[in-house]
Amino acid sequence: MIRRVLIANRGEIARRVIRTCHAMRIETVAVYSEVDHDAPHVREATSAVAIGPAAASESYLKIPALIDAVRKSGADAVHPGYGFLSENAAFAEACEAAGVIFIGPPAAVIRRMGSKTGTRALMAAAGVPIVPGVTPAAQDDESIAAAVREVGFPALLKAAGGGGGKGMRVVRAESEIGDAIGAARRESERAFGNPTLYVERLVERPRHIEIQIFADTYGNTVHVLERECSLQRRHQKVIEEAPAPRLAPRVRAQIRTAAIAAARAVEYVNAGTCEFLLEGEGDQARFYFLEMNTRLQVEHPVTEAVTGLDLVRAQIVVANDQPLPFTQQDVVARGHAIECRIYAEDPRTLLPQSGRLLRYVEPEGAGIRIDGGVREGQTITVHYDPLIAKAIAHGDTREIARERLIGALQGFLILGLHHNVALLSALLALPEFVASTAYTTLMEERGAALLPPASSETLDAAAALAAFVSPPPPAAAPPPAEAGGEAAPVGVDPWDALGPVVW
Amino acid sequence: MATRVKLRSGEHQWTADVAADTVTLADRDGGAFTLTLDGAWTEIERAGRRWRGAAAQSGDTIWVQIDGEVFDLAAGRGARRSAARDADALTPPMSATVTRIAVKAGDAVRQGDVLIALEAMKMELPLRAPRDGVIAAIHCKEGDLVQPGTELITMGTGVFSTDPPPMGTGVDE
Repeated sequence: MIRRVLIANRGEIARRVIRTCHAMRIETVAVYSEVDHDAPHVREATSAVAIGPAAASESYLKIPALIDAVRKSGADAVHPGYGFLSENAAFAEACEAAGVIFIGPPAAVIRRMGSKTGTRALMAAAGVPIVPGVTPAAQDDESIAAAVREVGFPALLKAAGGGGGKGMRVVRAESEIGDAIGAARRESERAFGNPTLYVERLVERPRHIEIQIFADTYGNTVHVLERECSLQRRHQKVIEEAPAPRLAPRVRAQIRTAAIAAARAVEYVNAGTCEFLLEGEGDQARFYFLEMNTRLQVEHPVTEAVTGLDLVRAQIVVANDQPLPFTQQDVVARGHAIECRIYAEDPRTLLPQSGRLLRYVEPEGAGIRIDGGVREGQTITVHYDPLIAKAIAHGDTREIARERLIGALQGFLILGLHHNVALLSALLALPEFVASTAYTTLMEERGAALLPPASSETLDAAAALAAFVSPPPPAAAPPPAEAGGEAAPVGVDPWDALGPVVW
Repeated sequence: MATRVKLRSGEHQWTADVAADTVTLADRDGGAFTLTLDGAWTEIERAGRRWRGAAAQSGDTIWVQIDGEVFDLAAGRGARRSAARDADALTPPMSATVTRIAVKAGDAVRQGDVLIALEAMKMELPLRAPRDGVIAAIHCKEGDLVQPGTELITMGTGVFSTDPPPMGTGVDE
């Protein structure tokens, strides 16, 4: 039986895993980089081990440092969280070689899932619908163009060597083919060292529906309902909810069944998520397998809220080689839950922010859960994902959950750096979100219109409040004149915003 | 008995007279703001319009959150033009990969020219010349993974104008 878990992660997910471990009377070991030495996850674990300098590549991503920490701490299991090394087959293999349990699927399954085209083929063979596509017969321009014509317009050129939106180009007409092939190939070579392209049909204005699946070592594979994550920007989810609203019962059942088939096709064990794109309405809606994530997802709390299940606990039970602690019949949705991710980023430029949290006060209330990674007085650096906290609201209906979440954001006090709370509030009030008609390209289409600039009245109110808290300036002596101006020439901020660069 | 506070944020400036529970902004219509503390928050009211916010000062910067929106203001006279980063610190704001270097040592550039493109968090991030100048040295190459604190480019002052800066560029009166 697992007795001591090392969490190979930081921030809110490390705290969340620690919470369940301690509830199960399992000891925990936190790891930390130099800048995280007094982070909350370090204070809350049973013990902690330093693993390196601030840069993630030298600490949270450094397999030898983590295996070293495992040995030093006497941990008998590792929970990888999400991001970092959670889907790294080499890390899972290193844990297995070190004789510790990796809380997740076997390394062989992780490795198998690493090939995108290989996974597509596996899914197709298992009868799981995939986005219609064609692998070009050869990689010369004419063969790729032929594949595009076969798929039909609009088509999507995609990189075979990797994902995340790199090496992708939309082709809407015959005249665009040549340029699109060139651009996709160059970007793909640069991003993955592999210029190989394939072609898919472009699914326009899709909804993102994902199924939580769970499997044990006894052949039990179940779904734990679906989530909808259609409000996204550049393939990063911003707001997630469970269950998915506005799904015809038959489609809902089919997509859950397809996810279980997908999990069985890859002999999955432990927690995973099957992601799909969905287009169309009602009974005519069609869904296509997108990819499978071999780890716990950031948005897992919405599933926990509507089912009452503790998914980390289930992960540990399965890792202990015990049967799943729930059956398919036990999985029932009660009410609705919505989550939003609060990031230390400028809500308009998207640049991550750093700074000391002068005030940090989480909201409370009926149906509110806050998974935070920070505490008041902590300095947020730019070395890691700038997630401050996840705010989750549960209610008997979607509308109650939505209103509770808006209220929670109003009561969330975070002072010391820019964050996206105002943007999240605006998104929760978007007519498309209220009506559940959002799709994955909506945020990019709306752009800056999502969050208009603050009114001059609100700016004045901010100034009044700032003046109110500011200590009075020292009396008498006038401020020293700045002789000849500042020595350094006045310039402008060299970093303006994240987004496509226009040369 | 009011105290007078000067504030600025980006292009905006205010002169505020602060009394026990009111603040009046000079050169602004609408009357005085009334402020009432309510636990961690402050209720702000003017002419029937209400806001709920909080603020805290650290050094010369006052951080304010009102209705979720965040503002940073600089207090006092002689505050530099609000720019969180030193205009000379050409170091990435986060861990990123250099995708394209558009200049070489010796090139003359104008303020705003894109010098380098980085990629982080699945998005591109341009580094723009903070002022007119000359590229003195480049300290990275395409494909490098760079961290905050690493200087990417050194700019020289070869083509600096010796004229005084134009009005309104932030040097206080």
